Amino acid sequence: MPKLTIDGKEVEVAPGTNLIEAARQAGSEVPHYCYHPGLSIAGQCRLCMVDIEKNPRPQIGCNTQAADGMVVHTQTERVLETRKSIMEFHLVNHPLDCPVCDQAGECWLQIYYMRHGLYDPRMVDEKVHKPKAVPLGPHVILDAERCILCSRCVRFCDEVTATGELGIFNRGDHSEIGLFPGKTLENKYSGNVIDICPVGALTDREFRFQVRVWYLDTARSVCNGCARGCNIEVHNNRRRLHHNQGRRIARIKPRHNPDVNRWWICDEGRYGFRWIDDDRRLLTPVRRASGKDVPLGWDEAVADLVAALRRYRPEEIGILASPQMSNEDLFALQRIAGHLGIRAVDHRVPPRVAGDEDEILIRADKNPNRRGAELIGLTQGETAAILDGARQRRIKLLWIFQHDLLDSGLPAADVSAALAAAEMVVFQGPSANGTSAGAHLVLPSAAYVEREGTFTNFQGRVQRFRTAVEPLGDAVADWDILGRLGRALGGGDPALAATRAEQVFTALAGHVPAFAGMTYRAIGDAGLVAKA
Amino acid sequence: MSLYEAIQEVRSIYPEDSESAVLPALRLAQEEHGWLSPEVIREVADALEVTPAFVKSIASYYDQFHLAPVGEHLVEVCTNVSCAVVGAQQVVEAFEGGLGCHAGETSADGKVTLRTVECLGGCGWATIVAIDSHYRTHVKASDVPAIVEELTGGD
Amino acid sequence: MATEVEKIVFAGADDRDLTKLAEYEAVGGYEALAKARAMAPQDVTEELITSELRGRGGAFFPTGRKWSFVPSKDQIPKPHYLVVNADESEPGSFKDNEIISRVPHRFIEGCLITAHAIDSKHVFVYIRGEYSGPYEILVNALEEIPKDVLGGVTIVVHRGAGAYICGEETGLLSSLEGKKGWPKIKPPFPAIKGAFGQPTIVNNVETIAAVPHIINRGAAWFAGLGTKTQGGTRLYSVSGHVVKPGVVEAPVSVTLRSLIYDHCGGIPDGRRLKAVVPGGSSAPILTADEIDVSMDADGLKAAGTMIGSAGVIVMDETVSIPEALMVVARFYAHESCGQCTPCRESTGWIYKMSHRIVEGKGRKEDLDTILDVAKRGAGTTICAFYDGAVGPYVSYIEKFREEFEALIPRDA
Repeated sequence: MPKLTIDGKEVEVAPGTNLIEAARQAGSEVPHYCYHPGLSIAGQCRLCMVDIEKNPRPQIGCNTQAADGMVVHTQTERVLETRKSIMEFHLVNHPLDCPVCDQAGECWLQIYYMRHGLYDPRMVDEKVHKPKAVPLGPHVILDAERCILCSRCVRFCDEVTATGELGIFNRGDHSEIGLFPGKTLENKYSGNVIDICPVGALTDREFRFQVRVWYLDTARSVCNGCARGCNIEVHNNRRRLHHNQGRRIARIKPRHNPDVNRWWICDEGRYGFRWIDDDRRLLTPVRRASGKDVPLGWDEAVADLVAALRRYRPEEIGILASPQMSNEDLFALQRIAGHLGIRAVDHRVPPRVAGDEDEILIRADKNPNRRGAELIGLTQGETAAILDGARQRRIKLLWIFQHDLLDSGLPAADVSAALAAAEMVVFQGPSANGTSAGAHLVLPSAAYVEREGTFTNFQGRVQRFRTAVEPLGDAVADWDILGRLGRALGGGDPALAATRAEQVFTALAGHVPAFAGMTYRAIGDAGLVAKA
Repeated sequence: MSLYEAIQEVRSIYPEDSESAVLPALRLAQEEHGWLSPEVIREVADALEVTPAFVKSIASYYDQFHLAPVGEHLVEVCTNVSCAVVGAQQVVEAFEGGLGCHAGETSADGKVTLRTVECLGGCGWATIVAIDSHYRTHVKASDVPAIVEELTGGD
Repeated sequence: MATEVEKIVFAGADDRDLTKLAEYEAVGGYEALAKARAMAPQDVTEELITSELRGRGGAFFPTGRKWSFVPSKDQIPKPHYLVVNADESEPGSFKDNEIISRVPHRFIEGCLITAHAIDSKHVFVYIRGEYSGPYEILVNALEEIPKDVLGGVTIVVHRGAGAYICGEETGLLSSLEGKKGWPKIKPPFPAIKGAFGQPTIVNNVETIAAVPHIINRGAAWFAGLGTKTQGGTRLYSVSGHVVKPGVVEAPVSVTLRSLIYDHCGGIPDGRRLKAVVPGGSSAPILTADEIDVSMDADGLKAAGTMIGSAGVIVMDETVSIPEALMVVARFYAHESCGQCTPCRESTGWIYKMSHRIVEGKGRKEDLDTILDVAKRGAGTTICAFYDGAVGPYVSYIEKFREEFEALIPRDA
């Protein structure tokens, strides 16, 4: 392992580490644009220059591998002057769009100019003009004047998605990023170029002009779009509700995890958050009787559910859990079912259309916690049998979590018959759907961004998601609803006495061998793999 | 032989898995079609099994590829230093006058596209004018009318 | 006094049409190849090292030493490539045009000897797209060569399509590989990982054309013709305001004054010399007082300029240096590949400023801005293109400052 000195500090790094990364490990920032750890080395921006002893001139850090005994200086007079020059060159033709550019506040030209530039501008000639506001695809819009030609986007489409839509055309200062005429940037990961573009050349069409980034708060979370569980940041706007059309969730960005999603996220996941703020969200518990919808407080709602569960014998009750629920939610449900002796429990509902899958990130199973449901063991029963039982009136109470059974791979007629035949249908979930519309008791769950918990991805990795915003209306986390139910049923199960998700998880770790020894702290931001 | 076949033949000269054939392929396509329209670029991309964006990035990079229609003849006057100091600018102006268009444009009758170019590598025989890629040497402004006549058939 | 020298590159070309194989063989053509093939490749490389032949493309690197960088097939078991740089596009340089047009067989023989020395069976000649005439002559000459002379070596002539930067070693390799002609970041170096990722030697046409004589007459003889640091003769492309412009084969230590006045007949019409560019447009300009300099690399370096591609551009008193700078600045702006930021942005910017000065709209800060921008960008780029541009940017202004200042309005 090479040992080298950077700004007077000695560090030991893995062989093959470049000087930007080595400097990072030593606590020194080396500014850069074209370098990205997930892409090939371009060496084009010339900003990452550092002084290496025994070299007559500063060298670029991205293409220099750390060598044993190397002595590197990132703050010499010469390096600082070079950075200033390179910043000036980057800004020579850059348009003064900051007041209307979405990137403002997270723009690396702004950031590095303030840190390393601060020169008096002296370019008085006309700047080179290029196309502005050019939609490239459904999600990405290009401003070619703002582009600093770092080529990250081109390399991403060549190397990560292997779709090659983008090219750099022309030569010299007329060089321009673009698409071939008639083509669009519509690969399933197109949004990632927005993240890696250091400036406002590639921006998000949905986010365009919605809210300034300095009003956003962020929470570390996990995407609920498929079984990959890409690590994300949920950016939410709670300070300027007259922006972003009142929606709380502004955008989702990927969070780096070398074992799960590296630096990327698919477009489905990136843009799949509208439902969180739309008008199908369930806001209060509702009892539906004689064609009337009666809003209930939680105490009444829980009382209704207790009455229902006591009205029927355990073998007359069927539960369809959802792999959208967190480990904590599923464990609490498992405990309830266990205490009540309910055996007809399953989480498997086939989708109407088979999910797409690829070799990059996307998994066919569009649920974040299938593995969690399997490990916790919510499969004593079988969905088709449960619905069959309902149709034949052997099962009289159906308790359905989140699923829209009428929009699934199950034959609609069978589902309708089962729902019609059941004496009572309880629906628990965040959003209204075809199934909830006919339920007798509707309980609103908080969306995953409105609470914390854990999901287990398809590789068995248990990952934490954290609260980004307050629940809408009276919605409450599923484990919390089940806890209230558990306490009302009596019994004193610690898993059902929890006031925080972490307490439920502690109980889960104590009971389910796959999670043995895990704690929220140990899971951290990287996650922990469950024992097989 | 079709353009597609010609391109496959060219590909076989170069290492497999390389894209070297793109330059000769574009030259062949331009010879056949006169200029490289988006359709032609797509045709070349298909023959090379690469994306059209890639082929366009190559075609737009080099001076000799025309991404817009050009006249029957191409007149390119070198205006770099060695030719400039012996009167290249006057040669350009003589052509502009004789053809009735500015450098960078095509004459109204579509016969001649006039361009100024950088060093053509004939500095000792200045001023160099490349006509359809073949060099005329020692060109003076007074030689231009005859050249114009030759190219436009005396209009 | 003109110093006569025995011609090496153009030997026999004045008396015969050496584009024809039979004519070339009549003056001993392809005998050096037979002799080289009887030698071990390392021995051929040794001869080149002893000869003190240096690259004639502009970088001036010792040729034999460059060949020795190619790893043996035991170290890296991959085919080796010889890539010949016939992309001559440096303003003022037209010697490679002459070589291919007049002595294509000598050039081909040089290619085959070089291929033997570096254990290569694949030669690519990258010839600039605009050289249609020389291309046709070269292709015809190749068709004349019998298979046994080729000896299993394939020679592919690859035409460029109009980009000066494809004359830069790694820009050429990128273009040959079918990418945009963008120079590559180094490491890796071409001798280890060049064309198509294989060990590659890139040599200039004139360098290659000198090789047959070195093998025939011996390295010591060749070295003895020159100076301690440079063997053989040199081809000077002389253009601009001289009575007899053209390619002059002369000793490496000929003076610039001798080249202009003895070999090329001096300035026409009795006008006064004003300035000379000694080594292609990237070489810093010399004033009329500085022409008593020896045209070997050391002499020119000591004079603050360089030999480059030995393109000598002579300017008399009718030339406006600010206009010349504008022309040169336009060239660099047009030819910048655009890959790296300092060059891409500065070349365009400096052209705009120089254009504004020539139009009489210069500002008093402009000259110092050009100088500062040039110096700040130097040494920060992927390749030496920008450093080449800095040569004229800085030298034209520093040596002819009053002429520039005269164009700047007093109240600017």
